[in-house]
Amino acid sequence: MATFRRNFVSNADIVNTINSMLPDSTWLRGLLRKYHSGEVILREGQENDSLFVILEGQVSMEKEGDNLSTRIDLQEPGDFFGLLSFHTGKPVFTTSRAHSDVTLLAINHQSFEEINNQYPNISHTLQGMVFSNLAHRYKRVVMLHVEVDNLSRELEKEKDQLKHTIKVLEKTRNMLISQEKMAVLGELTAGLAHEMNNPASALLRSVDFLVKNLPEMFDKSARIQEKSLMRFFFESGQQREFVSSEGQREKTRNLAEKYPDLGRPEVRLMSEMHPDAFDALVPYASNSRKRELFELYLEAFQTGVFTNSITLSASRIENLVKSLRSFSRHNKGEREKMDIRKGIGETLMILGSRLKNIEVELNLPEIPPVNCYPGEINQVWTNIIINACDAMEEKGRLIVSCRYDGSGSVWVDIADTGPGIPAKFRKKIFSPSFTTKAAGGEFGLGLGLSISKSIVEKHQGIITVSDRPGGGAVFTVRLPVGN
Amino acid sequence: MSEIYIICVEDEPQVLDVIVKDLEAMEEVFPIEVASSVAEARKLIKEIHQQGGRIGLALCDHIMPGEYGVDLLIEMQNNPFTRNTRKVLITGQAGLEDTIMAVNKARLNHYIAKPWNPEELLEIVRLELTQYVIATEKELLRYMSVLDPVRLQEEIRSRGYI
Repeated sequence: MATFRRNFVSNADIVNTINSMLPDSTWLRGLLRKYHSGEVILREGQENDSLFVILEGQVSMEKEGDNLSTRIDLQEPGDFFGLLSFHTGKPVFTTSRAHSDVTLLAINHQSFEEINNQYPNISHTLQGMVFSNLAHRYKRVVMLHVEVDNLSRELEKEKDQLKHTIKVLEKTRNMLISQEKMAVLGELTAGLAHEMNNPASALLRSVDFLVKNLPEMFDKSARIQEKSLMRFFFESGQQREFVSSEGQREKTRNLAEKYPDLGRPEVRLMSEMHPDAFDALVPYASNSRKRELFELYLEAFQTGVFTNSITLSASRIENLVKSLRSFSRHNKGEREKMDIRKGIGETLMILGSRLKNIEVELNLPEIPPVNCYPGEINQVWTNIIINACDAMEEKGRLIVSCRYDGSGSVWVDIADTGPGIPAKFRKKIFSPSFTTKAAGGEFGLGLGLSISKSIVEKHQGIITVSDRPGGGAVFTVRLPVGN
Repeated sequence: MSEIYIICVEDEPQVLDVIVKDLEAMEEVFPIEVASSVAEARKLIKEIHQQGGRIGLALCDHIMPGEYGVDLLIEMQNNPFTRNTRKVLITGQAGLEDTIMAVNKARLNHYIAKPWNPEELLEIVRLELTQYVIATEKELLRYMSVLDPVRLQEEIRSRGYI
């Protein structure tokens, strides 16, 4: 009759018991299995009908994960594995791999029966072993649970730390963008002042001329009865197109010869007239009695010319100021939907004389508006275009094109015909403080492209540089149209 | 006696118009010719040379499409025909380096910043042309009405004859 006995069995007991019986039992020895280190004994998911007892060596229990296996446990001599599949017939739960060269006792169902019948000692021991092992495994579960809890709490703390660090980095990035914007703005403003010199000169002088001459013209006009052509000559002057060429000079010379009584300024004005105005004036040119009227008509013509200058210059100044405004616009912390082509246009305008010797080619078809910070996006164009101009030493071609890819992103390519970017620099070019320009006072202090990258990434976009087939560099910016 | 020309080189028509207008008073004695680019200016200089004229003063912008004004002035300095032409840069966009080059290599006579004061412009042009005629002309009286009479008078006196 079997009696219940409290049954704590140590691993040593198990191994010793079995080892002591091995010499006397061929059958038992037949159950021995040996594996080399690294060999898989049981693979997760396979069918198994044996219980394995470790006599020598170590076996590592592993659970397969997505990319790697997690070591669950390392079993020692006296431990066993394969219990679940042996007992329930379900597939192996945990892979068992020899951690060193191992000697195992493999007990299948038949052998188990046999052991129960022939070797009651072992059977009893085995039972104890099973319970010990299961108890051990349960303890492990509890310990692991506690460990997981602790780790979770640690993780939460780290997560909070990380959140804080990200906030600080965001702030720093925005600060750098802001600083660079100021540098850009500074450079642009200086450039702008220069840009304005020409239209300002034309404007000021033209207005001065009008202010000085109009009153007298009105007086003269009042005196002379016949003045029906005043408006005609004024409007003709507004439409005058300036030409400087050998042909023009010859024309002026011929007129001077034809009208020796007229001064050079008069002849010059006449030669600039369209044929219809010229023809209308000729009768007065050679008639000395009509001299006053002739002069008046010429003055009306020149008034038209200067009035047109005023219109053109004022409009140019307006455009310059407008494009600067888009750069200095304060971001209210919100994005706007903008047609980025507008920003490209404004950038080109504000860079004015830098582009005087550069052939600018634009391929800008319709694209959807992009949700963005317009000022910052313009910073990116400014950056790239200024770099292109510098690379080309202000002579060459600049090709700007854009397209919508049909799946949520707008692509912009800015290409130049400069020397291109050597392969070794292509990755470094976007890192801060990379510059090939002399130090001191140069644009952007080398931050330019790195800030541009930062801005593009802030907009969830990508910026890359590549070789232009035919020579030069192409900067490609991809911007998601946005939420 | 060959004509002494003033040439104005400036690519923006609106600016060229007002420069010429501001100098109109000079055309009684010094005819004005214009060019919109350095290339055009070269042709103009050649034409004047061929017609037997001289260039007393060149008023030049700097930033122009094609080549820059300072480069033209340097060329003019190296060309015997235009070596003693008075050279004036009238610009808002010449950097320090370019201006230094203009002074050193082109012997720039004057630098005028845009926008200019019309009285000052006229004054400078008078001054420069006065220098030119003193250096190249025997007969100075005819220039008294249009140039700097005081300076001319001094020069006449110092030459000892009229």
